[in-house]
Amino acid sequence: MSWWRRLGDRGRLERELSAELADHIERHVADLVAAGVGESEARRRARLALGGVEQVKEACRDERGTRWLEDFSSDLRYAGRGLRQRPAFAAVAVLSLALGIGANTALFSIVDSLMRRSLPVREPERLVLLEGEWTNPIWEQIRDRQHELFDGAVAWSGADFDLAAGGEEKPVNGLFVSGSFFEVLGVPARLGRTILPQDDRRHSGTEGLVAVLSDGFWKRHYGGDPGVVGRTLHLNRAAFMIVGVAPPGFVGPEVGESFDVAVPIAAYPILQPPLDGLDDRNFWWLEVVGRRKPGQTLAGVTDALRAVQAPIRAATLPPRQTAEQLAGYLREPFQVIPAAAGTSVLRDRYRRPLFTILAVAFLVLLVACANVANLQLARGNERQHEFRLRLALGASRWRVARQLLTESILIAGLGAILGLAFALWGSRLLVRNFSSSGTLALDLPVDAGVLLFTGAVAVLTALLFGTLPACRAGRSDAEGAWREPARGAAGGSVGASNALIVVQVAISLVLLVAAGLFLRTLAAITNRELGFRSEGVLVVKLYAWQSGIALDQFVPLADRIRASVVELPGVASAGLSDVTPISGSSWREEFEIPGTGRGREQAFVHIVTRGWLSVYGTPLLAGRDILDSDHAESRPVALINRAFARTFFGDKDPLGQTIRTTGIYLAPMEVVGVVEDAVYRDLREDHAPTIYVPFAQGMKNVTAPQASLSIRAAAGPPSRLTSAVVAAIARIDPRVTLRCRTLSDQIDAALVRERLVAMLSGFFGALALMLAAIGLYGVTSHAVARRRGEIGVRMALGADAPRVVRMVLGRVLGFVLLGVLAGSAVSAWASRFVTSLLYGLEPGDPLTIAGAASLLFAITLLAAYLPARRAARIDPAKVLRES
Amino acid sequence: MAAPDDARMDLPQGTLDLLILKVIGLGPLHGYAIAQRLEQISRGVVDVPQGSLYPALHRLENRGLLEAEWKDSETGRQAKFYRLTRRGRTQLEAETASWKRLADAVGLILRATPEEAR
Repeated sequence: MSWWRRLGDRGRLERELSAELADHIERHVADLVAAGVGESEARRRARLALGGVEQVKEACRDERGTRWLEDFSSDLRYAGRGLRQRPAFAAVAVLSLALGIGANTALFSIVDSLMRRSLPVREPERLVLLEGEWTNPIWEQIRDRQHELFDGAVAWSGADFDLAAGGEEKPVNGLFVSGSFFEVLGVPARLGRTILPQDDRRHSGTEGLVAVLSDGFWKRHYGGDPGVVGRTLHLNRAAFMIVGVAPPGFVGPEVGESFDVAVPIAAYPILQPPLDGLDDRNFWWLEVVGRRKPGQTLAGVTDALRAVQAPIRAATLPPRQTAEQLAGYLREPFQVIPAAAGTSVLRDRYRRPLFTILAVAFLVLLVACANVANLQLARGNERQHEFRLRLALGASRWRVARQLLTESILIAGLGAILGLAFALWGSRLLVRNFSSSGTLALDLPVDAGVLLFTGAVAVLTALLFGTLPACRAGRSDAEGAWREPARGAAGGSVGASNALIVVQVAISLVLLVAAGLFLRTLAAITNRELGFRSEGVLVVKLYAWQSGIALDQFVPLADRIRASVVELPGVASAGLSDVTPISGSSWREEFEIPGTGRGREQAFVHIVTRGWLSVYGTPLLAGRDILDSDHAESRPVALINRAFARTFFGDKDPLGQTIRTTGIYLAPMEVVGVVEDAVYRDLREDHAPTIYVPFAQGMKNVTAPQASLSIRAAAGPPSRLTSAVVAAIARIDPRVTLRCRTLSDQIDAALVRERLVAMLSGFFGALALMLAAIGLYGVTSHAVARRRGEIGVRMALGADAPRVVRMVLGRVLGFVLLGVLAGSAVSAWASRFVTSLLYGLEPGDPLTIAGAASLLFAITLLAAYLPARRAARIDPAKVLRES
Repeated sequence: MAAPDDARMDLPQGTLDLLILKVIGLGPLHGYAIAQRLEQISRGVVDVPQGSLYPALHRLENRGLLEAEWKDSETGRQAKFYRLTRRGRTQLEAETASWKRLADAVGLILRATPEEAR
C-alpha cells in the first residue's frame, strides 16, 4: 500500500490496529485463564506482556511512513491555536511578512512579464532580433532573401493613428507590419483573416487598404461585434477596410506596448504623407525579426546575414553622407540576438530601477524576517517551560524543534497568501503608475511561475526566521522542567536576539538611506531652476500633414491660429514653436562661428514666434525678442541663451555675431538677442547652448507641417482653456489635428521613473522603520520582563526611575548604535550601484546618511523607551514578594 | 521447556523480521499465534518482546513482504491473518541463506584453535 493510501485510510487503519491488539490481549487472557489464572490477574499480565497498548500503537503508526504528515497536521492545528491565542503577535508577524512577500511577488511578476515571458506566438524561442532599427530599403533587401536566411522574417514599427477627422485627436496605437508578419509569427486571426503578403504592396494591395484589429480594440471599440469584418475604419482620414481581428493575448511584438490597429508597411505614405518611409534610405524606423530554421544556431543566422551584408548595404547607401560615414555604414556588421521574449524599450529604461526596487523589497523581507525571528525568540523564551515539559515527557529535540518550525511555516504561509493578494493589487497599481499615458500593457497573470516564486519565498522566509528559534527550543534542557517557569529563561537567546537587532537596524538604515537618496533626487529635479515657469501653460500640438496641408500653407495658418487664440478670454499670451521643453522631441544642429577659429559645435534649436518667450517667462538678457518683422524673407536672425554666449563668445559681445549651421535647414544667422538659460530636453541635463530661430524663418525647410502652440492662462488651471482653444482652432481650419496637454503634465510624464522609484523606496523605507520600531519594542519589552526580578531588587536598593530607564535603554541602544554604524557603512558602499538614478547628490551623500541614521535612532529610542518606562514603574515590594 | 528468565537472550538486531518471515512461511497466522509460535520454537531461550512484534508485522506488511486478511479464526472470532507474499518468500530465502553464511563464519572463527590463528 502506498503511503498516501495509508494516509487516506487513516481511520480504517486505526480501527484495525485497535481490533488487532484487542484480539491479541483477549487470546492471551483466554490462554492464561485456561491455565488457571484469575480473570483480572490474567488481564493484567496480558497487558504487561504486550508492553502498553498505546506504545505499541505508536510504534505501529511510525511504521506507516505517514507519521511526519500526521504530525505536521497536528502541529499545524496546534500552531493555529497558539496564534489565535496571541492575536497581536500573529497580526504583526503575518502582516509584516505579507508586506515583504507581497512586495517581492509584485515586483517579480512585473520583472517576469517584462524581461522573461515569451511572446504568445509559435515557437518563440526560434525568433531572433536583428539589432538596431532599419530603413525600409534594407528591410526589402532582407525580405527578398528571407527564405535563404531564415524560416521567414518580419518587420514592424509602432505609430500613433488618429481616428478623428480633424480637431482634437482620437489616438489609437497603430502598428505597421510586413505582409508575412502574422504568418511567420504564427498568429492566426480570431475573426476574418490577418494581413497577408499581397496586402503589403506599394500603392495598396489587391484588396485596397486593409487593417487588422487587436482583440482588445475590437472589444473596446466595436463591442466585440462579429460583423466588423468588411467595415471601414478611418485612420488619419484614410479609409481602411477591416479584414480581421487578432487573437486574444496577442498585443503586439513589443512588451509593454499594445497595438489597436495593424496595417501593412506599404500604407505608410498614405498614413504619414510628408514622410517617405518606403524609399528614404536615411529613415530608420523598422524592427526586424527572423525565425531560425530548425537546427540553425544564432551564430549560423549571424553568419548567413553577414554573408549577404555587402550586397544589402551597397544597395541601400544613404544619401547626403560623407565618405567616412558611408564607409562606416558599409562596415557595420549585422548582429542578431534572441527575441523569444519580444523587444522592449521599457525593458532597457526600467531595468535598473526595477532591479533596485526588487533589491529594496528583498531587504524589507529580510527586515520582516529578522522581526518575526525576534518575536519568535522572545516567545520561545516564554515557552521554555512548555518545551522542557515536552522533552521530559519523551519528545525528541528534533520533534520540539519541528513543532516550532511548523509554526513558522504557518506564519509564512499565511503571510504568503495575504502577500499574494497584496501583490495582485500592488503590481497592477505599479504598472498603472509606470506609464503616464496609461498605454503600458503588461499582462500580469498569476501563473505557475509567480506562484512558485511566492511559495519559494515563503519557505525561504520560514527557514530564515524559524531556524534560530527552533534550534533554540530544541536545545532546551529537560532538567528544568519541574522548576518554576519564569526562572528558567535561557541566557543564550538574548545574544541571538541582540544580533538580530543589529542586523535589522542595519538593513533598515540601508532602506532609509535609499529612500532618502531617491526622495531627495526627486526633490532636486522638481525644484531645479528650469529657466521657465511650468505652471499655467497649455501646449496644443497642431498636426496638418494628415489632411494634406502643405508646409507653405501651414506657416501662415499656424500664425492665424496663434493670433486668434491670443484674443480668447483667459489667455495671457501664446507662441508657436516646433518643439516644447521636456517633450521627448529635440532638434540639435551642428554649427560654426566664422572668425572664431573654433571647430564645429552642437547646440539645441528652438524655432519660436513672437510671444513664445513671454509664455515661458524666460527673460531677455540683452538685445531684442523675436518680432513679427522676422518673416521668411527678412534677414535671418537668432537669439542665443546665456550658456551659448558664455561657451562660444566668452567676454565678447555676442550681438551682431554670425552663426552658420552646417545642415541644410537654417541659413547663416545674426545674433540679435541673448536670453536666460532654460531646460530644453531633459530635466537631468545641465543647461546646454541653445539657439532660438524665428518660426517663419526656421520652418522654411523642415519636412513636416506640425508645430506646438504654447498658451499661458491669465489665471487658474490652463486645462480650462482647452475647449475654447479647440473650438477657436476648428473655426479657422477644422482639418488640423490637435493634441492638448498642460506643460506641467508633460514635465510630470518625464519624471515617472524618478517619482516611482522615490515613491516605492519611500514606502519601503517607512515600512522598514516601522518594523525596526516594532522589533525593538518587542525585544526591550521581553528584556524588561526577563529582568523584572533584578530591576525590582535594584529599585529596592535605591535605584530611582530615571536610572532604571537608563539601565534598560543603555543595553539596547548599544546594539542599535552598532546597527546604525554597520548600516551607514553598507549604505555608503551600496549606493554606488544606483548612481545613475540619482540627481543633484553624490551616492554616499553624508547628509542623507546622517539624516536617515538620526531618524532611525530617534524612532528606535522611542520604541525602546516605552517598555523602559514600564520597567521604571515596577513595584519592588511586589517583585520581592513574588520571588 | 522454558529457560529461566535470567538465561533468556535478547534478539540480535534485525533478526526479528527474519524469524517472523520464517514462522509465517509455515502457514498464515494471526499476531498472537505468531508470538506463541516464536516462543515455542525458540523454547523460551530468545526473548521476543510482544511489544515489538506488531510494529515489525506492520513494517513487513508495508514493505510488501507480508499481506494480511481479516478472517474467522478457530475460536470463531475475526482475526488478522498474515501470509507471506512472493516477495516475502524470496526475501526469506535470501535472508536465511545469508544468516547461515554468517553463522557458519562466526562458528568457524569461534572454533579456531591457537595453532590455526597463527
